[in-house]
Amino acid sequence: MSDLDKAIALLRACRLIPENQVRELCYKARELLIEEGNVVGVDAPVTICGDIHGQFHDLMELFRVGGDVPDTNYLFMGDFVDRGFYSLESFLLLLCLKVRYPDRITLIRGNHESRQITTVYGFYDECLRKYGSANVWRYCCEVFDYLALGALVSGAATNLEPTSATLADTFVDTDDSQSSTPATDYADIDIEVLNANNEILSRYRRRDRDPLMSSSPVRGGMSGSNGAPRAAGAAGTGATADSGGSASNDGGAVLCVHGGLSPLIDTIDKIRLLDRKQEVPHEGAMCDLLWSDPDEIDGWGLSPRGAGFLFGADIVKCFNHRNDLSLIARAHQLVMEGFKEMFDATIVTVWSAPNYCYRCGNVAAILELAEDGSNAGFARSNGDAGRSRGLPMPMPMPMPGIGPGGLQGQGQGQGQGQGGGGLIPRQMDIGHRMAPGRRYRVFEAAPQDSRGMPAKKPVADYFL
Amino acid sequence: MAAPQIPHLLSLRGGHGRGRGRGRGGHRFGHHESEEDAAAAKDHVVQATDGDASGSRLSAVELGYMDDPFARAFHYEQDSPRRYPIINRGTYVRTAALDHLVTRFLSAFPSQPKQIISLGAGSDTRWFRLVLADPSLAHRLVYHELDFSTNTSKKIAAMQNRPFVWKVFKDSLPEGVLEKISENGTRLESPSLNVHPVDLRDLAREGIPASEIPTSLPRLPNLDPDVPTLLLSECCLCYVSPEITVSILRTFTTSLIPRRTPLALALYEPIHPHDPFGRVMLRNLATRGIDLPTISTFSSRRLQKSRLEDAGFEGGQGAADVGWIWSKWVEETERERVGQCEGGLDEVEEWDLLAGHYCVAWGWRDGDGGEEESVFWRAWGELDGQEDEVE
Ligand SMILES: [Mn+2]
Repeated sequence: MSDLDKAIALLRACRLIPENQVRELCYKARELLIEEGNVVGVDAPVTICGDIHGQFHDLMELFRVGGDVPDTNYLFMGDFVDRGFYSLESFLLLLCLKVRYPDRITLIRGNHESRQITTVYGFYDECLRKYGSANVWRYCCEVFDYLALGALVSGAATNLEPTSATLADTFVDTDDSQSSTPATDYADIDIEVLNANNEILSRYRRRDRDPLMSSSPVRGGMSGSNGAPRAAGAAGTGATADSGGSASNDGGAVLCVHGGLSPLIDTIDKIRLLDRKQEVPHEGAMCDLLWSDPDEIDGWGLSPRGAGFLFGADIVKCFNHRNDLSLIARAHQLVMEGFKEMFDATIVTVWSAPNYCYRCGNVAAILELAEDGSNAGFARSNGDAGRSRGLPMPMPMPMPGIGPGGLQGQGQGQGQGQGGGGLIPRQMDIGHRMAPGRRYRVFEAAPQDSRGMPAKKPVADYFL
Repeated sequence: MAAPQIPHLLSLRGGHGRGRGRGRGGHRFGHHESEEDAAAAKDHVVQATDGDASGSRLSAVELGYMDDPFARAFHYEQDSPRRYPIINRGTYVRTAALDHLVTRFLSAFPSQPKQIISLGAGSDTRWFRLVLADPSLAHRLVYHELDFSTNTSKKIAAMQNRPFVWKVFKDSLPEGVLEKISENGTRLESPSLNVHPVDLRDLAREGIPASEIPTSLPRLPNLDPDVPTLLLSECCLCYVSPEITVSILRTFTTSLIPRRTPLALALYEPIHPHDPFGRVMLRNLATRGIDLPTISTFSSRRLQKSRLEDAGFEGGQGAADVGWIWSKWVEETERERVGQCEGGLDEVEEWDLLAGHYCVAWGWRDGDGGEEESVFWRAWGELDGQEDEVE
């Protein structure tokens, strides 16, 4: 058993590795990450995950639900550390897996992978507490600087592959004309939601999509066990682009980024030109990619986070069209149902920290994209896959502060509004890439004392 | 580290019995020792929530969210807890919201004598902050703090041990008047500030076995039945049963402050226990030994308002959650300043969740004067509240 495998075994048991091994690991990881472009090319099949935030036991549950490394390919969209009690164990394990199976796991940077943020939100304190000095924190921060800013998934199948999963008791089929039996023909299904027991909770058919009814977003289903709300009444929602005629059968690529878009970035190539090997700046394109959020506004708006921007459906549709994307997958925002599609399924938020901060009561989700049959074999390229995807079609990007959305967002609701899109000009839909088939697996928080791992019962803060 | 200190039950266990049995002698049938112990432990946990509050306040003050020269003096531990930004912002909003209600009360008919009764005041610094800002206030405001004797003795000792705190208090007294401090150090009496060692449950007349109703109410020296009075309850009345809460309030609204006198209540409590966040909140607090017996009865802003009306505060009621107050009552320049205290807030969705689960509610009665001369109508009549929940 190699040292790396031993380290993996220790970390999987939620035990820490010695400081000198951390240093070595971080050095190796940096050597590997330096070779990656700002936008890593990833081929389907891949399982896309959102924020982890040091919830180690839930990361183990994620691997149980989604399959273990290296059997399943993973793409983690950042925010590995801070908030939870096991940021070190979580991040070091992911880093070990990255070094051990570099082609099977992709890590991109979240806004918490930063020196400044980790001193406020817990990771710095955790390093001091567990290693007695800030050395390990420094090693980790150096790795953070080398993490890619995004990933571009290509070769995802537009249709879901059948699974052996059975239907959950609470199964919701959006097609009234069908009885609730497992579909044998997946041709029209583009979303399937499963629970942690591999039971199908709900399913959405492409042809059901009625753009007029697209006022509520598709959201995750919940297993009924905790009495959480289910995705009731979501039939016919989250319409994608018209499947009749205008959409291409060839699925476009999926851009994965922690936060979202930037007013300074209109093509993926512009992301590739950034100098990423630095602390996350307080403003500018790199900051925006890690901090921004989609919101129900037109154009760009100020972010209530004090960094990054809010961006509306028009921005996403324009960006996706211009870059030949079918979907943007991002993390960064807590969504109670684990995932949330917005803007006619042109962007999805994936959140993978269940009962976030041991307090929020949410479920988590991961997103599986299957491999397109025409894409032979599994391959993965470091660096600049898909470079030529940008279309040469000029489309002016609305700038912040312009338009009615310019001042929205300060202290505004949950930022979880409705996934409408009624204000988008019709011609924007023309030529949309057909979104890939999306299989979401939702899961709840793992019991802290399972699997014989050490677990200090964390205490959540309230106002008393 | 931001995690609060977990009250250590064993170390908190003193020699005291459960509050309401204390000093009334006699063997109490049907109460096993273990039950007594469990009840005592529960009381201690509730008493210890005060340390949680003072720690949160100190954290917010040291990070620049708000100004409070008394925060360190009334945080009895040596530590300097550091809370997460979301908690610091919540502490700021909660303080600002109640300050807002108090200030509007004090500046309505400003020369009129007034009275404030702070229930479960613990280590609260409000009186000191008010009097430091306007020393003349002490001559027209009688202030009462009520809490368990374990908390009042700590408070009085902290006042005496800090010369600058003690000076603020001494300067508030009229020429030649001396304060009275009980021999055991649990009670402070003066024309300006009074600290009363009272188990609030001893003010209840209903909701408890008849045999346990004390024959007389606890002594509250210097309580003036004739001046407009504001009751404050910051996370206090939520720790007893709904029946007892109603009964405690009835004692204030009928016996202690007669109906002719304008009276109001401003409270701060958690709400919405039935959604996923609320359920986890109850579960987490329960593992710390903290129950919130009233939360399912007064579970929304709407129910908080009707509870105030039912309690006799018929002049008007309002309610708003912490998130709403942050965006509507706090001015934009102040929001920007607070927002930058720790370099922005990355807990936006979590803030919306947490801030939606705490509410400030206020209600008043006008007394004999009617609306025209009502100090509370003038103070709060035009105040904006949040709409009721859609249920
Ligand atoms: Mn984030």
